[in-house]
Amino acid sequence: MINLDLYAPLMLPKEELFTSGHRACQGCAEALAVRIVCKALGRNSIVAMATGCMEIVSSPLPTTAWQIPWIHVAFENAAAVASGVESGLKALMRKGRLPHKKITIAGMAGDGGTADIGLQALSGAMERGHDMIFVCYDNEAYMNTGIQRSSATPFGASTTTSPAGKVKAGQETWKKNMPEIMAAHGIPYVATACSAYPIDLYEKVKRAALVKGPAYVHCLSVCPTGWRIPSGDAIRYGRLAVETAAFPLYEVIDGKYQLTFDSPKLKPITDYFKGQGRFRHLTPEAVARIQERITRDYEKLRAKCENVNK
Amino acid sequence: MAEAAIRAGCRFYFGYPITPQNEVAEYMSEHMPEAGGTFIQAESEIASIYMVLGASVTGARAMTSSSSPGISLKQEGISFLAGQELPAVILNVMRGGPGLGNIAGCQGDYFQATRGGGHGDYKTIVLAPGSVQELVDLTGVAFELADKYRNPVMILADGLIGQMREPVVLPEPVKHLPEKDWALRGAKGRPSRFSRSLILNVRRMEEHNWKLQRKFREIEANEIRFEQYLLEDAKLVVVAFGSAARVAKGAVKRLRKEGLKVGLFRPITLWPFPHKKIRELANECSEFLVYELNAGQMLEDVKLALSGSAEVFFYGRPGGVIPTPMDVAKIIGSRYYQRIKRKAK
Ligand SMILES: Cc1ncc(C[n+]2csc(CCOP(=O)(O)OP(=O)(O)O)c2C)c(N)n1
Ligand code: SF4
Ligand SMILES: [Mg+2]
Repeated sequence: MINLDLYAPLMLPKEELFTSGHRACQGCAEALAVRIVCKALGRNSIVAMATGCMEIVSSPLPTTAWQIPWIHVAFENAAAVASGVESGLKALMRKGRLPHKKITIAGMAGDGGTADIGLQALSGAMERGHDMIFVCYDNEAYMNTGIQRSSATPFGASTTTSPAGKVKAGQETWKKNMPEIMAAHGIPYVATACSAYPIDLYEKVKRAALVKGPAYVHCLSVCPTGWRIPSGDAIRYGRLAVETAAFPLYEVIDGKYQLTFDSPKLKPITDYFKGQGRFRHLTPEAVARIQERITRDYEKLRAKCENVNK
Repeated sequence: MAEAAIRAGCRFYFGYPITPQNEVAEYMSEHMPEAGGTFIQAESEIASIYMVLGASVTGARAMTSSSSPGISLKQEGISFLAGQELPAVILNVMRGGPGLGNIAGCQGDYFQATRGGGHGDYKTIVLAPGSVQELVDLTGVAFELADKYRNPVMILADGLIGQMREPVVLPEPVKHLPEKDWALRGAKGRPSRFSRSLILNVRRMEEHNWKLQRKFREIEANEIRFEQYLLEDAKLVVVAFGSAARVAKGAVKRLRKEGLKVGLFRPITLWPFPHKKIRELANECSEFLVYELNAGQMLEDVKLALSGSAEVFFYGRPGGVIPTPMDVAKIIGSRYYQRIKRKAK
C-alpha cells in the first residue's frame, strides 16, 4: 500500500515564513519545527524569540530567515516580551489607533529558555492569561552554547555538564514535565508535538492560535549534533521517541486530556537509545530503570486521557 | 582557571552556560566531584549567584562564572554578598555588548565591575588578568582577598583570554583555609549567628555602611596591583588593562625597537585603581594614551588620577573587534610623532 503519510506534508501552505539559507546544522529537526510552526501561524503574526540555536542560526546580520515580524530578546524573557506585545497591540486597538484584527502573538524558546531560565516569565504570562501561544522547541539540552544539560535533558543522557564517566553516568535527574506544569496553570490549550510528525504539529499550532487566551505547545525537536546521531536520522529518532513513549503526543483542551498518538504496543526504549551517542554509555540496569519509568509514566498519562480504551 | 580555583580550595562551583566561558563549567562538572566538591548547573544566573551566597555563608570557598549578560543578572546577588560581607569569587569573561552583543573580546563591563555594579554603596575588588598564566595566579589571589576582606572579588577577563590556550604553571593546592568565626554552621552549644543586609534601624544602617566604607579604604590602601613596562625614560605612557594591555605590550615592544620612547602601565586591580601611581608617573611624563576595547571607560579613572597634570589621549574600539599590535603600534607611533612635532614648534 502506498504510504499516504509521505504526501501529506504537500498539503501544508507553500509559503515559507522561516526561509532556507539559515545556518542550522545539517538535518536539524528544530529548524524544521520552526518552519512548520510558522506555516501554521501565518503571516499575521509576531514572534518574540529567546536566544538559542534558532535565534542564532536565523538572524546573523545582515541576513534573516524571518518573513514575519520577529523580535529577539534576552534569554529569560520571551514570554514577558510576548505579553508586552500582546498588551501593546490590545491597547492600540482599543484606542482605535490600529484596526481590530487578529494578530497571533507567539513566544518561542528552547528547552533551556522555557523550562529553566524562562519559566518564571512563562508562568507569569500564562497565569495572567495573555492571548498568545508559547512554543518550546525542546532538543533536550542547551545546544547553542555547546550541549549543556537542562532540566529537560532526559535521565542518563551525557552532556558536557552532565558527562558520563567513572563517577557519574550522565544526567542524574528525570526530564522536567513542562507540559504538565503548563496544564496545571489551567490554560485552555496545551499540546506536545514533534517535528517528525509535521501534520500533527501544524494542526496543533493552528488550534493553539485559534484559542482565546494562552496556549502552550511543547515540541520535541531532534538535534543530530547534540544527540550524536547521523544528520539524516532526525525524523527516524523523532518517531522512535513517540513510538517508545519516551515523548508521548497528547493535547489538553480545557483540562481534558487526549492522546494524539496511541500505539497498541510500544516499542522498547532500546530501539530509541540504539545509535544515539548521548546514551551510548548506559548499562542494561540503567536502561531497565528508564524503561520502567517510561512505562509507568505512559500508563499514568493514558489513565488521564479520555479517548483511549482503558 | 577552573583547576586553579580547585587548588585554591574552592569546593563549590555554581554555573550556568554562556559563551565564551562554558569551558569553566565543563571542567568543573568533571573535576569538582573528583576533588570531593560540588558542581551544580543552576537554572539561571540569578540562582547560581545565590547558591554561591548560600555556600559562602557556611564558610566554604565558592565561585561562579559567566559572561556580560549573565553578570548583569547576578548583580543583585553580588550586592547582597557585599552587603552581608560574604566572600565569593566571580569570573566575568566579558563579551561585546550592550544587550546580547557578540562573543568576541571586549572590555565594555569596566564601569559595571569597578563602580560596584549592583545597587547600593559598595565596591567589588576587580582583578584584570593579561594572560592565561595571570588568570591562574589571580584566581588564588581572588580567593585570598575575598576571605581576607569578606567581600566579593571579580576577575574581569574577556573573550580573548577566555578562549586562549597557553601553557601554564599551576599552583600547589592550598592546605589550610582561614577560620571563619562568622559562618553559619548550626548553633548547638553557642549563641546563633546572623547574616543579613536588611537593617531597618537608620542609625545601625549608617553604621554598617560606614564600616563597609572603612573596609574599602583599607583595601585601597593595601591591595593595589599594577605592572610597569619600559616606563623609565618613556615620553608617552600607554595605559591599558587585560587583553588590550597584551596587545599594547606587543606594540610598545615593536616601537621601542624603532627607538620610540614609549612605555606601558597596566593596572591589574581595576578597583582599587592605581590612581596615585599614575599621578606620580605624570612627574616624569606629560602624555598618556589610554587604550581600551570599549568607548572609553578606564579613561575616566586615568583622567581623574591625572587631574589635568598631563595630556590624555584615547584609542578605543568598542564591542568585538580586536586590533593587532601593528594597528595599535601605528596609533601610538602617530601620537608620539605628533608630540615631537608640537615640541619642535
Ligand atoms: C542571561 C543569559 N544567560 C545565558 C545566555 C547564553 N545562552 C545563549 S543560548 C543558550 C542556550 C539555549 O538553550 P535552549 O534554550 O535549550 O535552546 P537551544 O540552543 O538548545 O535551541 C544560552 C545558555 C544568554 N544569552 N543570556
Ligand atoms: S545544534 Fe542541534 S538544534 Fe542547534 S542548529 Fe545544530 S542540530 Fe539544530
Ligand atoms: Mg535546547
